[in-house]
Amino acid sequence: MEMIRMEKISKIYPGTVALDGVDFTLNKKEIVSLLGENGAGKTTLMKILYGMTPPSSGEIYYNGQPVKFKRPLDAIEKGICMVHQHFMLVPAFTIIENIITGNEPGSSMFLDMKKAREEVKDLISKFHFNLDPDTKVEKLSVGEQQRVEILKVLYRKADVIILDEPTAVLTPQEVNDLFVILRRLRDDGKSIIIITHKLKETKAIADRVVVLRDGHLVIDDVNPSDTTTKQLSEMMVGREVNLDTRKPAKNIGDICLKVSNLKVEEDDKEKIKNISFNVRHGEILGIAGVEGNGQTQLLEALTGLIEQNAKEITLDGKKLNGNSAQFLKAGIGHIPEDRLSMGLVKEMSIMENLILGYHRERDFCTRHGILLKKNIFNYAKSLKEKFLIKAPSVEVAASSLSGGNQQKIIIARAFSRNPKAIIIAHPTRGVDIGAIEYIHEQLLELRDKGAAILLVSADLDEVRKLSDRILVLYEGKIVSESMPGELDEIEMGLLMTGGHTMVEEGNQC
Amino acid sequence: MLNNLESAKKMEVRNSFINSFLALVFSLLLGAIFIWVCGYSPIESYKAIIGVSLGTVKGFALSLSQATPLMFTGLSFALAYRVRMINTGAEGQLYAGAMAAALVGAYVHNLPSPIHILLAFGAAFIAGGLVALLVAAAKVYLKSNEITMTLMLNNIIILFTSYLANGPLKPAGSGVGQTERIDDSAKLMKLIPQTQLTIAIFVVIIVAVILQYILHKTVFGYEIKVTGLNLRGAYVAGINVGKTYLLTFALSGAVAGLGGAAMVLGVNYRFIEGFSSGYGFSGISIAALAAYSPIGVILSAFLIGILKAGTITLNRTTSIPVEFVDVIQVLVIIFVAAPTLIRAILNKFKKIKELTNKQKHGGEAI
Amino acid sequence: MNFNADLVYSIIASTLRSSVPLILASLGGCFSMRAGVSDLGLEGMMLAGSFFSVLGSWISGSAWIGLLFGIVFGMLFSMLHAVMHITYRVNASISGMCVNLLATAATPLLLNEIFKMSGKSVTVEAFKKPNWEWLNQIPVLGRILGAQNVLFFLALLLVILGWIFLYKTKLGLRMRMVSENPHAASTVGLNVLGYKYFGVAMSGCFAGLGGAYLSLGQMNLFVENMTSGRGYIAVVINAFGKYNPIGTLGGSIFFGFFDALQTVFQSIFPSQLVMMMPYVFTLLVITFGLSGGKAPAGVGKHVE
Repeated sequence: MEMIRMEKISKIYPGTVALDGVDFTLNKKEIVSLLGENGAGKTTLMKILYGMTPPSSGEIYYNGQPVKFKRPLDAIEKGICMVHQHFMLVPAFTIIENIITGNEPGSSMFLDMKKAREEVKDLISKFHFNLDPDTKVEKLSVGEQQRVEILKVLYRKADVIILDEPTAVLTPQEVNDLFVILRRLRDDGKSIIIITHKLKETKAIADRVVVLRDGHLVIDDVNPSDTTTKQLSEMMVGREVNLDTRKPAKNIGDICLKVSNLKVEEDDKEKIKNISFNVRHGEILGIAGVEGNGQTQLLEALTGLIEQNAKEITLDGKKLNGNSAQFLKAGIGHIPEDRLSMGLVKEMSIMENLILGYHRERDFCTRHGILLKKNIFNYAKSLKEKFLIKAPSVEVAASSLSGGNQQKIIIARAFSRNPKAIIIAHPTRGVDIGAIEYIHEQLLELRDKGAAILLVSADLDEVRKLSDRILVLYEGKIVSESMPGELDEIEMGLLMTGGHTMVEEGNQC
Repeated sequence: MLNNLESAKKMEVRNSFINSFLALVFSLLLGAIFIWVCGYSPIESYKAIIGVSLGTVKGFALSLSQATPLMFTGLSFALAYRVRMINTGAEGQLYAGAMAAALVGAYVHNLPSPIHILLAFGAAFIAGGLVALLVAAAKVYLKSNEITMTLMLNNIIILFTSYLANGPLKPAGSGVGQTERIDDSAKLMKLIPQTQLTIAIFVVIIVAVILQYILHKTVFGYEIKVTGLNLRGAYVAGINVGKTYLLTFALSGAVAGLGGAAMVLGVNYRFIEGFSSGYGFSGISIAALAAYSPIGVILSAFLIGILKAGTITLNRTTSIPVEFVDVIQVLVIIFVAAPTLIRAILNKFKKIKELTNKQKHGGEAI
Repeated sequence: MNFNADLVYSIIASTLRSSVPLILASLGGCFSMRAGVSDLGLEGMMLAGSFFSVLGSWISGSAWIGLLFGIVFGMLFSMLHAVMHITYRVNASISGMCVNLLATAATPLLLNEIFKMSGKSVTVEAFKKPNWEWLNQIPVLGRILGAQNVLFFLALLLVILGWIFLYKTKLGLRMRMVSENPHAASTVGLNVLGYKYFGVAMSGCFAGLGGAYLSLGQMNLFVENMTSGRGYIAVVINAFGKYNPIGTLGGSIFFGFFDALQTVFQSIFPSQLVMMMPYVFTLLVITFGLSGGKAPAGVGKHVE
């Protein structure tokens, strides 16, 4: 029995087409897995269903009737509720308070906590959630918090529940518990949509799989029990990369950057679980993986931005300690993950941004701390020419440049200081095609000059094209090491999404 | 945006100048409405104000001397704001500096005048700086809030100096809370006799120039800029953010302290309790109007000084009170702090204009 | 100075009297913070309340009308803070300071314009002690409470009502959610802006009432800068009291105690040093962050 039908849904943002004529249906009593890579459009589609954003074109039908959702409240009234990836909870409130706020029971203006507690307890026991309603949410584990989120939607009598990457923050055991609950909800008559990129779990829980790719619907009636994860991966990724354009490294030298037993903990969770690897001079080591698997923490550890909990990072044999200033001085260049919040000061001029991080060096200031404006200007000019930064002059503000040119500033800055090693994150995100090619060229040139380069990118094509060696990072561990071309896209996709591991834990890469 | 050929610096200056200018205009407009409500002609009043403060020698001297303490506190707040720290403690730092200068002025003897004055200013510099340094250290190492700390410190310092001025340091036979008169060698020379205008005005202009230089031409100033505009970026770039906070805030307090010294050495020749009519807080609006630029502070303070001098003089012939300028100052901050507010008001005017145009030209019903 | 029962009674009564404005202002602070907006503007709202309540009493000849004026104008001043911070996203500390600066600048101006006086206003109808007969029957307490005027009891009542509102009503729960996580609140359909405006308006009303107490309850006129920093102390009391009305009672009485001590010790210690004590204590508290409670998690956050 069809509950929801979305017809020819398109969503266009300035500059990108997020969704292009996608059809989507949902039946009663079913669990659908909405599968796709980063940027495939799955979250956008669900945001439209949930009323958070309107479609640019297309219709939505609920129980056969056409509906228009102007805001989430409209969708909630129809019984469509979303459990967000980042929980919308109040840690200082109890479970009951979190659930009922906004829809409190009772007809007077006073809180009827007795009734609220009854209703919540009923729900908890009906679905065997195993929670004490008077506990403060801050004391709950992540899995338990997620259950509170689910209780919120059940309390509001949801018939359609959308879960956005629900297993991203759960331990394997918690994932199993969640699946048990989801099956109970389905058997009770609810319809569930799970947005995910994880293949193993899709096979474990979904009744039906819908695959999106680059804003298009690929297929919508896959039966997970007779599809392999390899086939699913194929559907998700689908295209080949021309590896002929690769320029392999010619002069790989000694080990430059050596990382041993790196562990990083954040918010009481292990984000990097004991990894070791090294990068040689003249080599590009690519770290592939879906965002959120520890990349940020790895980058922070390698650039002096956090204290690593079990450190041993050496550069050409010398131990690396201290904060970002020491790392920069030691010769580690950094192209940060987020250029605007970490790499540039957009209100400052191109010139001023080009010396950021290196501004205390003798080239740019005297011993007494006076800036050598003329030197800086000339330096900036030469960098602007060399790296083809498109701007009227080096004195304009960085904010007036396109994303690609802004990135060029950061690259020009780091590459021109004769770094021994460079840590690069997502270098071509949000950058136009022309600039992408240029940036790749510069990377290869630097590599051939003898620098050791660590490239972290969520763009698998980029990693495969540029790297001389590829590691896959999944849930804080290195799950594979391979040479480019050794594994095809689909196999890599599998590794990135927890398909299967190739390397036992603890091996040196 | 690529066809915008202005350099970053020029763009920043232009935007903030427009913003400040509009804020001042709106505030003066509101002030004009107030004057009109009180039964006077706004045009006549403003004309009289300018006439006095720019037209007469005494008036001009009054403008500058009224502006002098505001320049000090304005510089203080502007400097701290550059790293996005809010120095609401200028009032207390002012008092601390004033007391220090008064003590050096009165109890150190037999020094040639320039040295004596230098020493007194130096003591004030250190006093104000130390007070601010303590607060900054608490912020950096203990994550305390500098706003509430400085507000409390203001009261503490003002009360404590009042205690000193009424108790141990009070000269015999004195009726009010004050300290001993300073030696003649510590007095600042008047620029125009029988006015309050002293060489302190040169001191503060020099301080402004020095600060402008530091902010725009030194590495320290560069790091201040980055820290204030993009804190995360500052960390990534290896800037020692804690040190930047400490030095900048201490300097901010020190400059305010100098303002206290200027009052003691130039106007009162001793520390008198209650000598400051809220200069510390007025500095906030001066700094905001100046878009936190040191040279801008000099100009803004001068403008407000003109208004103040004119109003003081006007007060004798009309009943427009001197506090009028204080209200204008507050309105200025409000408008400067909420640039979108200005834009919203401008948009409303545009809409009203469009509406009246449509009606005039017999347009369709709206 | 004779240390006797009379002195003790006098100190206790004086303490309670002095704590009323703080109780009210910090109650206002609770409402503001529990809507997710910081309360630095309490001083200005109080001062406005002080002045306009005198104005109201002067115009009408009734202290209660004056009180109403004080509440209304306290609220109006709070709206400046609300509009600047909630709608125009100005940093809450700055918009709060704007309220303070405006009140500090405007009240002497209006004093001059309306009353044609400077420094202080004419005397007006104010609140007198109720002289309830039955109070004199109660030992100890009767004497202390009899020295209070009706506003003291009103303040206590408001604290209790305020607590009930925040923790026992639906609206209170929703407002608290806005203060903890405005984004989450908007996803369950709450009007985040509305609740924030409400909280700030309430803070203005209470602070205005507290200011009115200073001018009409403790005295019968307005004196320039009457509040002399009480609003700032209320900010700290609020933090200390974990942003809970009952919690702020204790802190208010503590500071009220020091205020009362001031008059007692005047002959022994220099008054300034006594007056300094609460500020020093507060400073230590702020510096070393022993404020006790965590603020609501969403203070200062806007919904995108």
